[in-house]
Amino acid sequence: MLNLEETTKYIELASKSGGQAKIEGDTVFITIPPDRLVDVADTIFNKYNTSFRVCAGVDERPLNGHFSLVHLFTDDKAGLYVAVKTYLSGESPVAPSITSVVPAADWCEMEARDLLGIEFTGRETYRLVLPPWWPSNLYPLRKETPYNYRPEPRLESEKLGYSREYGVIPLGPYHPALHEPEYFELYVEGERVVDVKYRGFHVHRGVEKLAESRMSYQQVNFLAERICGICGFVHSTCYALAVEKAAKLDVPERAQFIRSIVLEVERIHSHLLLLGVAFHLLGYDAGFMHIWRIRERVMQLAELLTGSRKTYGINLVGGVRRDVNEEKKQKTLEALRELGREFKNFIEVAISVPQVKKRLTGSGVLPREEAVKLSVEGPVARASGVNKDARRDLPYAAYKYVSFKVPVYTEGDNLARVLVRVDEVFESISIIEQLLDKLPGGSILLTDFEIPEGRVGVQVVEAPRGGDIHYVVTGKGAPYRWRVRAPTYANIPALRVMLRDQPLADAPITIASIDPCFSCTDRVVVVRDGRIEEIKLTQLVK
Amino acid sequence: MSHKPLKLIIIAGSKGRVTVKYPYQEPLITPEFRGEIEIDPAKCIGCGACVKACPPNALELLESEKEVILRYFVGRCIFCWRCIDVCPVNAIKGTRNFELATDKHTDLYTLVVHTRTTCEICGKPFETTRMQRYIAEKSPVTEEYASICPDCRKRLLAEAVSARRVGISEHKE
Ligand code: SF4
Ligand code: SF4
Repeated sequence: MLNLEETTKYIELASKSGGQAKIEGDTVFITIPPDRLVDVADTIFNKYNTSFRVCAGVDERPLNGHFSLVHLFTDDKAGLYVAVKTYLSGESPVAPSITSVVPAADWCEMEARDLLGIEFTGRETYRLVLPPWWPSNLYPLRKETPYNYRPEPRLESEKLGYSREYGVIPLGPYHPALHEPEYFELYVEGERVVDVKYRGFHVHRGVEKLAESRMSYQQVNFLAERICGICGFVHSTCYALAVEKAAKLDVPERAQFIRSIVLEVERIHSHLLLLGVAFHLLGYDAGFMHIWRIRERVMQLAELLTGSRKTYGINLVGGVRRDVNEEKKQKTLEALRELGREFKNFIEVAISVPQVKKRLTGSGVLPREEAVKLSVEGPVARASGVNKDARRDLPYAAYKYVSFKVPVYTEGDNLARVLVRVDEVFESISIIEQLLDKLPGGSILLTDFEIPEGRVGVQVVEAPRGGDIHYVVTGKGAPYRWRVRAPTYANIPALRVMLRDQPLADAPITIASIDPCFSCTDRVVVVRDGRIEEIKLTQLVK
Repeated sequence: MSHKPLKLIIIAGSKGRVTVKYPYQEPLITPEFRGEIEIDPAKCIGCGACVKACPPNALELLESEKEVILRYFVGRCIFCWRCIDVCPVNAIKGTRNFELATDKHTDLYTLVVHTRTTCEICGKPFETTRMQRYIAEKSPVTEEYASICPDCRKRLLAEAVSARRVGISEHKE
């Protein structure tokens, strides 16, 4: 499957830059000295037209005395993962920032700075994920920091921004579009939004640290699934696949089919949920009610297949825990038939409701260039003409056995993002039908295997909101390092572009149109803080 | 303006009411649903396998001189049934119960109390009585070690080794 020509250019690039490369499975691992990082990232991102997914800092001091920084790209045309690693000093780690050539690396660099104390040169630095009162020399993801250490929180109120020229309107932090804590500050001139400030990372759960310090390989599946309440199965699948890739496990085909089936069931429920929320925000509550009525069928289907309506809990490293028998297969097919019919009937009506159509059309536009530059994910990318979908480009689980269309729209507005999801619901139904039809026999779970230490696995799984990436370095009985990046992490920065120069009234629907999942984005920090948020409302008079 | 939106009335009319009269009606859960677990105190041997597997620490082993207590706190349980997968004696059963609200927090705990044996050599508290019996039944060969705690077993082994290689004692306390 691997294209040899495609891999050679990476190997040459590495040796030209004074580094090495090795290929393992579908991943090219490149190690280069820090001073060549910007060049190499520039070539890989801008010349080879890859997607930048995330970067991960690793505290490798107990192993080799160094910190390391890994930038993860995917060459979607070649079906390749590219991991660019540099070793940094163990005492005072400093890395050059690649944001000048890869703007999408902004957040992950700041996250590595907050959590591991890696400094970056060549960019403006700021605190991103840790609360303002957090002690400045305490780095949660360094191995010597205990997972349950809680520094004394200080109450500190964050002030609303102030502008002489523009009105300032706070949106959030409690309910900007969904019931999740995220704060947007909109600067308005009359009815127009002229700029947006974003403050996230209010929900600190310390998921990565917890897995690295207190859990075992199999327990982490269940923790991973709880990263997101909507598309959790994506995370547990992504984690399991990454570990399996690292350990080179041969997982039974049947298990991979079941994973794909359940992933698509999850996608349908997630898309229907978002469509309902979008209709609600547009004041079309009848649409919301009916979509959720149709969605209920999917929730019951998930329970039939997995034992739970949500957070299915059937993934393990090595396979799955629940099989699909003939009876379940028939029931699933029947449910899908009805679902397809009902959804088609209803969505045609809903999309043509004048208030829905008018408010979605032309609002919240994200131009293609911006979408590429920010490496946005999923329906947000596909609605702006970026044709990428990990299910097709980096096939995992059982997606290589089915054929499906990847809907792409070029308008980049809220309507396009809604239509991508509408089309995808039909594709998902067809994918599940094909998978059930081809379901191979055999076992569903690998038992008796070993996970050697020091291996690396990188995996992207296409969540309903876009590519989700997990990076696992194996350790003793548990991951040594586990880095998670949910798609909303990549999509939020694009909101700034979408909201700017738009009527204020469209802000909520535009925010909702990326189908944000804030809790996934916020998953990293160590301590659940007891801080009280206080937004002082200054006068909104212009 | 299209008249399509009017079709909604037809759709709504044909569907009627879809909500159910819960709790006056059977809740709509499938036979596959995973709910609260039930531990059979007559079967459990207190081995702790379920405790090791449980992802959120809903199961814990509380140890004292005389007793080992397996404590299940349903408030933490995520209904994954991993404990059921790993229990060597099938002491745990999954139920479909999910209506767990209560006004007494003690209702959320289930305790299985085990008596403990002591090590034949050092007298320190050791595995549960049932566990000892279980091991003896499973593998009669180990019987002579079954009532000796792991520390003493290690020491015996080390002594046996050093008896052969005189001068090197790996004895550790
Ligand atoms: S069902 Fe899962 S969470 Fe609950 S006690 Fe068993 S292993 Fe623990
Ligand atoms: S016998 Fe079963 S229920 Fe009892 S401690 Fe062992 S695994 Fe848990």
